[in-house]
Amino acid sequence: MPVQANELPAIFESFGDARKAGFLKMKALKDEGVGVVGTFCVYTPLEVFMAGGLVPVGLCSTSDETIAEAEKTLPRNLCPLIKASYGFAVTDKCPYMYFSDLVVGETTCDGKKKMYELLGRIKDVHVLNLPQNQNGASRLMWKEEIKKLAEKVEGRFGVKISEGDLKEAIKIKNQERALLKEFYELSKLTPPPMTGLQQLQVLFGAQFKFDMPAKLSELRKTIDDIKKSYEEGNRPVPIEAKRIVITGCPIGGATEKVVKAIEESGGVVVAFENCTGAKQFDRRVNEESDPYEALTDHYLNVGCSVMTPDQNRLELLGRLCKEFKADGVVEMVLQACHTYAIETFQIREFLNDKGVPFISLETDYSAGDFGQLKTRAGAFIETL
Amino acid sequence: MRKGKIGIGVDCGSAFCKGALYQDGQIVSLIVYPTGWNIRATGERIVKALRGIAPLSLCLLPIVATGYGRDKILAQKTITEITCHARGAEFLRPGVRSVIDIGGQDYKVIAMEDGRATTFQMNDKCAAGTGRFLELVLGRLELDLDSLDALLAKGQTVTLNSTCVVFAESEIVGLLAQGTTREAILGGVVASMTAKIAGQAARVTIAEPAVLTGGLSQSREIAAALTRALGITVSTVENGLYAGAIGAAIMAAEIY
Ligand code: SF4
Ligand code: SF4
Repeated sequence: MPVQANELPAIFESFGDARKAGFLKMKALKDEGVGVVGTFCVYTPLEVFMAGGLVPVGLCSTSDETIAEAEKTLPRNLCPLIKASYGFAVTDKCPYMYFSDLVVGETTCDGKKKMYELLGRIKDVHVLNLPQNQNGASRLMWKEEIKKLAEKVEGRFGVKISEGDLKEAIKIKNQERALLKEFYELSKLTPPPMTGLQQLQVLFGAQFKFDMPAKLSELRKTIDDIKKSYEEGNRPVPIEAKRIVITGCPIGGATEKVVKAIEESGGVVVAFENCTGAKQFDRRVNEESDPYEALTDHYLNVGCSVMTPDQNRLELLGRLCKEFKADGVVEMVLQACHTYAIETFQIREFLNDKGVPFISLETDYSAGDFGQLKTRAGAFIETL
Repeated sequence: MRKGKIGIGVDCGSAFCKGALYQDGQIVSLIVYPTGWNIRATGERIVKALRGIAPLSLCLLPIVATGYGRDKILAQKTITEITCHARGAEFLRPGVRSVIDIGGQDYKVIAMEDGRATTFQMNDKCAAGTGRFLELVLGRLELDLDSLDALLAKGQTVTLNSTCVVFAESEIVGLLAQGTTREAILGGVVASMTAKIAGQAARVTIAEPAVLTGGLSQSREIAAALTRALGITVSTVENGLYAGAIGAAIMAAEIY
């Protein structure tokens, strides 16, 4: 039986529309003179911008609309996320890119790193020099990078970022992390109280809500509403649906098709390990220690395939499988993403040892491969 | 297998639509039509023909559809071709541990245990290793499928450098100009196909007995080339073309 995605529409609607609805809100903020910083990656310490009274917004593009334009400059054989992000910048089609006074990139994968050089011709770009491993020397370097970022922000926007401001920002951001974690952990229930598409809508949409206090109370209400609806006996997902954890490249927008392929084939996505989900919200920043120390530790330890080795991704994935009682893991790798594609081997090996069935699916931002994805995801679920 | 059960399986592939009628542990009838442009109509033709053969008293005749056109067929259930091929292969060759299916636009390697698929690998978007590649080359060489085994049996071969079908085609034009024989070109194409399939097969645990299903399932020479590439014996199997439809029919019979 397919999972029904439309049982609790009202609860999720506001998050589903958030990206679009945010355009106007962002315009209003700009008119008030608020500074906007565009970011791409989960390694970027958002607290620095918040402490400076600025609004951060995610620029990771998730549609193939501007890829053709980007390919006039960038090679075709490049990850669609990078091509789309660049494409939206050159075509002025993403309002968030357009409104960003400063764009902050990072030296994560080679493709992004080199793309930022070109992006720097169009926008004011600051690139964080992210180390490639998580050891002691890298830690020192990363702390320096975060300090430099704060200085850059201070100079660019004429603001002062005190340690007190940073601590305050950490506290607020932690509240959001805690709420989003509480939200997605609702899917530990059997059957889960929402589909994976609904969960993704909230996780993805939350980044486009810029009024923090309002966002926090809306998240609280969302969680309570879902709980109440479940207690009243509403079961939007059939009990026999196979429980799937998704891992891999960032997911959302065009790549929602992977979630659809799973949920139209008798599965339900209970958790997202990707940076759209648990990778971002699982841990909180230490509120007690020196804020620069705390931010350094927190962000450097994000478990992404750009790190070598990448032990933290395995740790989180293993824990999610256990806590969410996963029947299987589906990995999504974007075409031409070398770090994730290579790491597939370690993930398969790791899950094999744990006895958790695994499949890796390669895709891009086009709609053309939905049938193929559905056959692969469907066959995988049939074997569970 | 429960007795007194009946079901229809339809396997709509990109090139051919196959149908099977299964009753009481036996295959009653098998049909194949070219898929053509209208998948729905071809599927309906198959269902109608099989219904005509089934005993009249049965008004409840469950249908399972599979293959890439499965969503276009009016059926009680759709099941992916991986699961259906595995079930069909188990019926055709009880105890089978691996299935290599070469279809019109894809190929799959399925590892099995106790008659069920456990893991599988399929080709990515590219057509290398699929039946489409061979079809193109046969067309180019003005040969038909029936002559395949006789030509391959001569054991001639040539190394093709391109794995991409489009590039391989122009490479073949060059080879013909140099006077390379058609036998050698075919041998080279089959070696390149099977090497590609072996690359995917390395990601699942394959074991003997292994069978070849799909449109080439009768070809001893293709099975032999796969045997060389995979390092395990791959055998042809009768009615291997219908493995997906047979598996679907068996699962249809299990519905009621
Ligand atoms: S996948 Fe890695 S590099 Fe990409 S946005 Fe997430 S954390 Fe950053
Ligand atoms: S998905 Fe991979 S290739 Fe694309 S930006 Fe992220 S790390 Fe780089």
